[in-house]
Amino acid sequence: MPLVSALAASHAPNILLEPGREWEEFMDLHYSMAPQASANRPTFEQQKKLRQDAEAAFAVLREDLEQAKPDVLIVVANDQFVNFFWNNIPTFFVTIGDEVKGQFTRHSFHYRNHKELGKAIIRAGMERGIDFSYGEHIELQHTQNVPLYFLLREAKIPILPIYVNTWVDPAPSPRRCYQVGELIRAVAENFQERVAILATGGLSHFPGSPRIGEIDETFDHQLLEVMRQGKGKSLVDYSVQDLLQAGDTEFLNWMVVIGAVGDAKASYTAYMPDFVATGWGFVSWRSL
Amino acid sequence: MSCYDLSRLLFDLKMKEAVYQSSLKDFERVMADYDLTTEEKDALRAGDPRKLRQLGVHGMLCLYIKRLQPEFRDNIYWQQK
Repeated sequence: MPLVSALAASHAPNILLEPGREWEEFMDLHYSMAPQASANRPTFEQQKKLRQDAEAAFAVLREDLEQAKPDVLIVVANDQFVNFFWNNIPTFFVTIGDEVKGQFTRHSFHYRNHKELGKAIIRAGMERGIDFSYGEHIELQHTQNVPLYFLLREAKIPILPIYVNTWVDPAPSPRRCYQVGELIRAVAENFQERVAILATGGLSHFPGSPRIGEIDETFDHQLLEVMRQGKGKSLVDYSVQDLLQAGDTEFLNWMVVIGAVGDAKASYTAYMPDFVATGWGFVSWRSL
Repeated sequence: MSCYDLSRLLFDLKMKEAVYQSSLKDFERVMADYDLTTEEKDALRAGDPRKLRQLGVHGMLCLYIKRLQPEFRDNIYWQQK
Protein backbone atom coordinates (compact mmCIF):
# COMPACT_ATOMS: atom_id res chain seq x y z
CA MET A 1 0.00 0.00 0.00
CA PRO A 2 1.16 3.60 -0.43
CA LEU A 3 3.36 5.21 2.18
CA VAL A 4 1.13 6.27 5.06
CA SER A 5 3.28 9.06 6.52
CA ALA A 6 6.41 11.01 5.61
CA LEU A 7 8.31 13.24 8.00
CA ALA A 8 11.59 15.12 8.22
CA ALA A 9 13.21 16.59 11.31
CA SER A 10 16.51 17.89 12.58
CA HIS A 11 18.58 15.72 14.89
CA ALA A 12 20.82 18.33 16.54
CA PRO A 13 21.90 16.96 19.94
CA ASN A 14 20.99 20.16 21.78
CA ILE A 15 17.33 19.60 20.91
CA LEU A 16 17.36 16.82 23.49
CA LEU A 17 19.91 18.28 25.90
CA GLU A 18 18.53 20.21 28.85
CA PRO A 19 18.69 24.02 28.64
CA GLY A 20 21.31 25.38 31.01
CA ARG A 21 24.36 23.36 31.97
CA GLU A 22 24.02 20.73 29.26
CA TRP A 23 23.61 23.32 26.50
CA GLU A 24 26.54 25.32 27.89
CA GLU A 25 28.81 22.26 27.89
CA PHE A 26 27.71 21.41 24.35
CA MET A 27 28.55 24.93 23.21
CA ASP A 28 31.85 25.05 25.10
CA LEU A 29 33.01 21.97 23.23
CA HIS A 30 31.84 22.94 19.76
CA TYR A 31 33.10 26.49 19.98
CA SER A 32 36.60 25.14 20.56
CA MET A 33 36.64 24.88 16.75
CA ALA A 34 35.58 28.51 16.32
CA PRO A 35 35.92 30.60 19.49
CA GLN A 36 34.49 33.69 17.76
CA ALA A 37 31.11 31.97 17.43
CA SER A 38 30.76 31.88 21.19
CA ALA A 39 29.80 35.55 21.23
CA ASN A 40 26.32 34.72 19.93
CA ARG A 41 25.52 31.89 22.30
CA PRO A 42 21.84 31.88 23.30
CA THR A 43 20.71 32.82 26.78
CA PHE A 44 19.03 30.34 29.11
CA GLU A 45 15.65 31.87 28.24
CA GLN A 46 16.35 31.48 24.53
CA GLN A 47 17.41 27.89 25.07
CA LYS A 48 14.16 27.10 26.88
CA LYS A 49 12.10 28.80 24.17
CA LEU A 50 13.89 26.80 21.46
CA ARG A 51 13.24 23.56 23.31
CA GLN A 52 9.55 24.44 23.68
CA ASP A 53 9.26 25.34 19.99
CA ALA A 54 10.97 22.11 18.96
CA GLU A 55 8.68 20.08 21.21
CA ALA A 56 5.66 21.81 19.64
CA ALA A 57 6.89 21.00 16.15
CA PHE A 58 7.63 17.40 17.07
CA ALA A 59 4.14 17.14 18.60
CA VAL A 60 2.62 17.95 15.21
CA LEU A 61 4.80 15.35 13.50
CA ARG A 62 4.05 12.76 16.18
CA GLU A 63 0.31 13.35 15.81
CA ASP A 64 0.56 12.92 12.04
CA LEU A 65 2.59 9.75 12.48
CA GLU A 66 0.16 8.24 14.99
CA GLN A 67 -2.86 9.15 12.86
CA ALA A 68 -1.31 7.24 9.97
CA LYS A 69 -1.14 4.05 12.10
CA PRO A 70 2.10 2.74 10.56
CA ASP A 71 3.38 -0.80 11.10
CA VAL A 72 7.00 0.28 10.58
CA LEU A 73 8.97 3.51 10.52
CA ILE A 74 11.92 3.81 8.14
CA VAL A 75 14.51 6.18 9.60
CA VAL A 76 16.83 7.72 7.01
CA ALA A 77 19.83 9.25 8.74
CA ASN A 78 23.59 9.60 8.48
CA ASP A 79 26.32 8.06 10.56
CA GLN A 80 28.81 10.30 12.34
CA PHE A 81 31.75 7.96 12.93
CA VAL A 82 29.88 5.53 15.17
CA ASN A 83 29.21 2.58 12.89
CA PHE A 84 31.41 3.48 9.96
CA PHE A 85 35.01 4.63 9.70
CA TRP A 86 37.46 5.25 6.87
CA ASN A 87 38.05 1.53 6.41
CA ASN A 88 34.57 1.29 4.86
CA ILE A 89 32.11 4.13 4.18
CA PRO A 90 28.85 2.88 2.65
CA THR A 91 27.01 5.33 0.42
CA PHE A 92 23.65 3.75 1.30
CA PHE A 93 23.28 1.13 4.05
CA VAL A 94 20.22 -0.89 5.09
CA THR A 95 20.00 -2.54 8.51
CA ILE A 96 18.92 -6.20 8.49
CA GLY A 97 19.47 -7.24 12.13
CA ASP A 98 16.69 -8.32 14.49
CA GLU A 99 16.97 -5.33 16.80
CA VAL A 100 18.72 -1.99 17.19
CA LYS A 101 19.82 -0.16 20.33
CA GLY A 102 21.39 3.10 21.35
CA GLN A 103 21.90 5.54 24.20
CA PHE A 104 21.60 9.31 24.50
CA THR A 105 22.60 10.65 27.94
CA ARG A 106 19.84 9.36 30.27
CA HIS A 107 17.74 7.93 27.47
CA SER A 108 17.90 4.36 26.19
CA PHE A 109 16.53 3.30 22.83
CA HIS A 110 15.69 -0.26 21.82
CA TYR A 111 13.57 -1.22 18.84
CA ARG A 112 12.81 -4.26 16.76
CA ASN A 113 14.30 -3.85 13.32
CA HIS A 114 12.06 -4.61 10.35
CA LYS A 115 14.59 -6.71 8.47
CA GLU A 116 11.97 -8.11 6.06
CA LEU A 117 11.28 -4.62 4.74
CA GLY A 118 15.01 -3.98 4.69
CA LYS A 119 15.67 -7.04 2.56
CA ALA A 120 12.78 -6.14 0.25
CA ILE A 121 14.37 -2.74 -0.34
CA ILE A 122 17.81 -4.28 -0.93
CA ARG A 123 16.43 -6.82 -3.42
CA ALA A 124 14.38 -4.22 -5.26
CA GLY A 125 17.45 -2.02 -5.45
CA MET A 126 19.52 -4.80 -6.97
CA GLU A 127 16.88 -5.25 -9.68
CA ARG A 128 16.83 -1.51 -10.42
CA GLY A 129 20.53 -0.70 -10.31
CA ILE A 130 20.90 0.56 -6.74
CA ASP A 131 23.19 -1.74 -4.78
CA PHE A 132 22.85 -1.04 -1.06
CA SER A 133 25.38 -2.03 1.53
CA TYR A 134 23.76 -3.86 4.41
CA GLY A 135 24.55 -5.45 7.75
CA GLU A 136 23.06 -6.90 10.90
CA HIS A 137 24.54 -4.69 13.61
CA ILE A 138 24.37 -0.96 14.03
CA GLU A 139 24.34 1.27 17.10
CA LEU A 140 21.70 3.98 17.14
CA GLN A 141 23.19 7.44 17.65
CA HIS A 142 21.88 10.97 18.02
CA THR A 143 21.02 11.14 14.32
CA GLN A 144 18.22 8.69 15.05
CA ASN A 145 17.74 8.99 18.80
CA VAL A 146 16.90 12.68 18.99
CA PRO A 147 13.90 12.52 16.64
CA LEU A 148 12.87 9.08 17.92
CA TYR A 149 12.72 10.42 21.47
CA PHE A 150 9.99 12.82 20.42
CA LEU A 151 8.25 10.72 17.77
CA LEU A 152 8.44 7.10 18.94
CA ARG A 153 9.62 7.05 22.54
CA GLU A 154 7.81 3.79 23.19
CA ALA A 155 8.90 1.10 20.78
CA LYS A 156 5.35 0.31 19.67
CA ILE A 157 6.42 -0.55 16.14
CA PRO A 158 9.69 -1.68 14.57
CA ILE A 159 11.94 0.75 12.78
CA LEU A 160 14.28 0.32 9.83
CA PRO A 161 17.44 2.45 9.96
CA ILE A 162 18.80 3.35 6.54
CA TYR A 163 22.05 5.31 6.33
CA VAL A 164 23.07 7.85 3.72
CA ASN A 165 26.64 9.08 3.58
CA THR A 166 26.11 12.80 4.02
CA TRP A 167 29.12 12.98 6.24
CA VAL A 168 32.31 12.49 4.31
CA ASP A 169 33.43 13.32 0.81
CA PRO A 170 32.55 11.90 -1.72
CA ALA A 171 28.81 11.88 -0.94
CA PRO A 172 25.98 10.79 -3.24
CA SER A 173 24.21 13.33 -5.42
CA PRO A 174 20.77 14.73 -4.50
CA ARG A 175 19.50 13.01 -7.67
CA ARG A 176 20.72 9.63 -6.49
CA CYS A 177 19.14 10.12 -3.07
CA TYR A 178 15.87 11.06 -4.75
CA GLN A 179 16.05 7.81 -6.77
CA VAL A 180 16.54 5.83 -3.56
CA GLY A 181 13.38 7.48 -2.24
CA GLU A 182 11.46 6.54 -5.37
CA LEU A 183 12.62 2.96 -4.91
CA ILE A 184 11.48 2.90 -1.27
CA ARG A 185 8.09 4.26 -2.30
CA ALA A 186 7.72 1.50 -4.90
CA VAL A 187 8.64 -1.18 -2.35
CA ALA A 188 6.20 0.27 0.18
CA GLU A 189 3.39 0.21 -2.39
CA ASN A 190 3.89 -3.52 -2.85
CA PHE A 191 4.37 -4.24 0.85
CA GLN A 192 1.60 -5.73 2.96
CA GLU A 193 2.21 -3.48 5.94
CA ARG A 194 1.76 0.24 6.48
CA VAL A 195 5.09 1.99 5.94
CA ALA A 196 6.05 5.43 7.27
CA ILE A 197 9.33 7.19 6.58
CA LEU A 198 11.34 9.79 8.48
CA ALA A 199 14.41 11.71 7.33
CA THR A 200 16.63 13.30 9.96
CA GLY A 201 19.32 15.96 9.97
CA GLY A 202 20.03 19.50 8.92
CA LEU A 203 19.20 21.98 8.17
CA SER A 204 22.07 24.43 7.66
CA HIS A 205 25.02 23.84 9.99
CA PHE A 206 28.80 23.46 9.88
CA PRO A 207 29.72 21.05 12.69
CA GLY A 208 33.39 20.55 13.45
CA SER A 209 34.28 23.48 11.22
CA PRO A 210 35.60 27.00 11.67
CA ARG A 211 32.23 28.05 10.21
CA ILE A 212 30.28 26.59 13.14
CA GLY A 213 27.70 29.12 14.23
CA GLU A 214 26.88 30.16 10.66
CA ILE A 215 23.34 29.23 9.60
CA ASP A 216 22.19 29.85 6.03
CA GLU A 217 18.58 30.66 6.85
CA THR A 218 17.83 31.94 3.35
CA PHE A 219 18.82 28.64 1.77
CA ASP A 220 16.86 26.68 4.37
CA HIS A 221 13.71 28.72 3.76
CA GLN A 222 14.08 28.10 0.02
CA LEU A 223 14.18 24.36 0.64
CA LEU A 224 11.10 24.49 2.85
CA GLU A 225 9.19 26.54 0.28
CA VAL A 226 10.02 24.00 -2.44
CA MET A 227 8.64 21.26 -0.20
CA ARG A 228 5.47 23.23 0.52
CA GLN A 229 4.95 23.62 -3.23
CA GLY A 230 5.47 19.91 -3.87
CA LYS A 231 8.35 20.63 -6.20
CA GLY A 232 11.02 18.59 -4.43
CA LYS A 233 12.05 16.94 -7.67
CA SER A 234 13.45 20.28 -8.82
CA LEU A 235 16.15 19.86 -6.17
CA VAL A 236 17.72 16.88 -7.96
CA ASP A 237 19.72 19.30 -10.09
CA TYR A 238 21.50 20.66 -7.04
CA SER A 239 25.04 19.42 -6.60
CA VAL A 240 26.54 18.19 -3.36
CA GLN A 241 28.65 21.34 -3.50
CA ASP A 242 25.50 23.49 -3.56
CA LEU A 243 24.36 21.83 -0.35
CA LEU A 244 27.84 21.90 1.18
CA GLN A 245 28.29 25.64 0.77
CA ALA A 246 25.05 26.17 2.69
CA GLY A 247 25.93 23.64 5.38
CA ASP A 248 23.09 21.44 4.19
CA THR A 249 24.72 18.13 3.26
CA GLU A 250 22.43 16.29 5.69
CA PHE A 251 19.63 17.42 3.42
CA LEU A 252 20.67 14.37 1.38
CA ASN A 253 18.73 12.32 3.97
CA TRP A 254 15.73 14.55 3.28
CA MET A 255 16.18 14.03 -0.47
CA VAL A 256 15.42 10.35 0.04
CA VAL A 257 12.10 11.23 1.66
CA ILE A 258 11.44 13.84 -1.01
CA GLY A 259 11.93 11.11 -3.62
CA ALA A 260 9.50 8.94 -1.68
CA VAL A 261 6.77 11.60 -1.52
CA GLY A 262 7.14 12.69 -5.17
CA ASP A 263 4.94 15.65 -5.96
CA ALA A 264 3.11 15.68 -2.63
CA LYS A 265 3.06 19.05 -0.93
CA ALA A 266 4.36 19.36 2.59
CA SER A 267 1.38 19.96 4.86
CA TYR A 268 3.37 21.32 7.79
CA THR A 269 6.73 23.06 8.07
CA ALA A 270 8.45 24.71 11.00
CA TYR A 271 11.85 26.32 11.25
CA MET A 272 13.95 27.79 14.02
CA PRO A 273 17.67 28.67 13.96
CA ASP A 274 19.12 27.63 17.31
CA PHE A 275 21.75 30.45 17.57
CA VAL A 276 24.30 27.71 18.32
CA ALA A 277 24.99 25.89 15.09
CA THR A 278 21.92 24.61 13.30
CA GLY A 279 18.75 25.67 11.55
CA TRP A 280 16.19 23.28 13.02
CA GLY A 281 13.65 22.15 10.43
CA PHE A 282 10.49 20.06 10.75
CA VAL A 283 8.24 18.85 7.94
CA SER A 284 5.26 16.56 7.56
CA TRP A 285 3.52 15.30 4.44
CA ARG A 286 -0.01 14.15 5.38
CA SER A 287 -1.39 13.55 1.88
CA LEU A 288 0.75 11.10 -0.05
CA MET B 1 48.37 12.78 2.51
CA SER B 2 46.38 10.22 4.45
CA CYS B 3 45.82 10.73 8.14
CA TYR B 4 44.17 7.35 8.61
CA ASP B 5 45.98 6.40 11.79
CA LEU B 6 45.52 9.82 13.33
CA SER B 7 41.81 9.63 12.58
CA ARG B 8 41.72 6.07 13.89
CA LEU B 9 43.16 7.09 17.23
CA LEU B 10 40.52 9.81 17.62
CA PHE B 11 37.78 7.38 16.53
CA ASP B 12 39.01 4.91 19.15
CA LEU B 13 38.99 7.64 21.80
CA LYS B 14 35.31 8.05 20.97
CA MET B 15 34.26 4.44 20.59
CA LYS B 16 36.64 2.31 22.67
CA GLU B 17 36.47 2.91 26.39
CA ALA B 18 39.68 0.95 26.96
CA VAL B 19 41.61 3.25 24.62
CA TYR B 20 40.16 6.29 26.34
CA GLN B 21 41.07 4.98 29.80
CA SER B 22 44.58 4.03 28.67
CA SER B 23 45.00 7.48 27.14
CA LEU B 24 44.15 9.14 30.43
CA LYS B 25 46.93 7.16 32.09
CA ASP B 26 49.65 7.29 29.43
CA PHE B 27 48.80 9.01 26.16
CA GLU B 28 52.36 8.69 24.85
CA ARG B 29 52.11 4.92 25.08
CA VAL B 30 48.75 4.90 23.29
CA MET B 31 50.10 7.12 20.52
CA ALA B 32 52.90 4.61 20.04
CA ASP B 33 50.31 2.01 19.01
CA TYR B 34 49.40 4.08 15.94
CA ASP B 35 51.49 4.92 12.89
CA LEU B 36 51.74 8.67 13.52
CA THR B 37 54.13 11.29 12.19
CA THR B 38 55.98 13.62 14.53
CA GLU B 39 53.72 16.47 13.36
CA GLU B 40 50.62 14.41 14.16
CA LYS B 41 51.89 13.54 17.63
CA ASP B 42 52.65 17.18 18.31
CA ALA B 43 49.13 18.16 17.25
CA LEU B 44 47.65 15.54 19.56
CA ARG B 45 49.81 16.72 22.45
CA ALA B 46 48.71 20.30 21.81
CA GLY B 47 45.10 19.21 22.32
CA ASP B 48 43.78 21.78 19.86
CA PRO B 49 41.13 20.33 17.51
CA ARG B 50 41.83 23.07 15.00
CA LYS B 51 45.39 21.81 14.50
CA LEU B 52 44.12 18.28 13.94
CA ARG B 53 41.66 19.54 11.37
CA GLN B 54 44.48 21.26 9.52
CA LEU B 55 46.14 17.85 9.22
CA GLY B 56 43.09 16.49 7.43
CA VAL B 57 41.07 14.91 10.23
CA HIS B 58 37.28 15.22 10.00
CA GLY B 59 36.17 18.06 12.24
CA MET B 60 33.85 15.97 14.36
CA LEU B 61 36.61 13.49 15.14
CA CYS B 62 38.97 16.32 16.08
CA LEU B 63 36.71 17.25 18.99
CA TYR B 64 37.45 13.96 20.73
CA ILE B 65 40.93 15.11 21.71
CA LYS B 66 39.14 17.40 24.16
CA ARG B 67 37.94 14.31 26.02
CA LEU B 68 41.39 13.99 27.53
CA GLN B 69 41.43 17.52 28.97
CA PRO B 70 40.37 17.82 32.63
CA GLU B 71 37.96 20.69 32.03
CA PHE B 72 36.12 18.71 29.33
CA ARG B 73 36.31 15.24 30.85
CA ASP B 74 32.77 15.32 32.24
CA ASN B 75 31.23 17.14 29.27
CA ILE B 76 27.69 15.95 28.50
CA TYR B 77 28.64 15.50 24.85
CA TRP B 78 30.50 12.26 25.60
CA GLN B 79 27.32 10.73 26.99
CA GLN B 80 25.83 10.49 23.55
CA LYS B 81 27.16 9.58 20.12
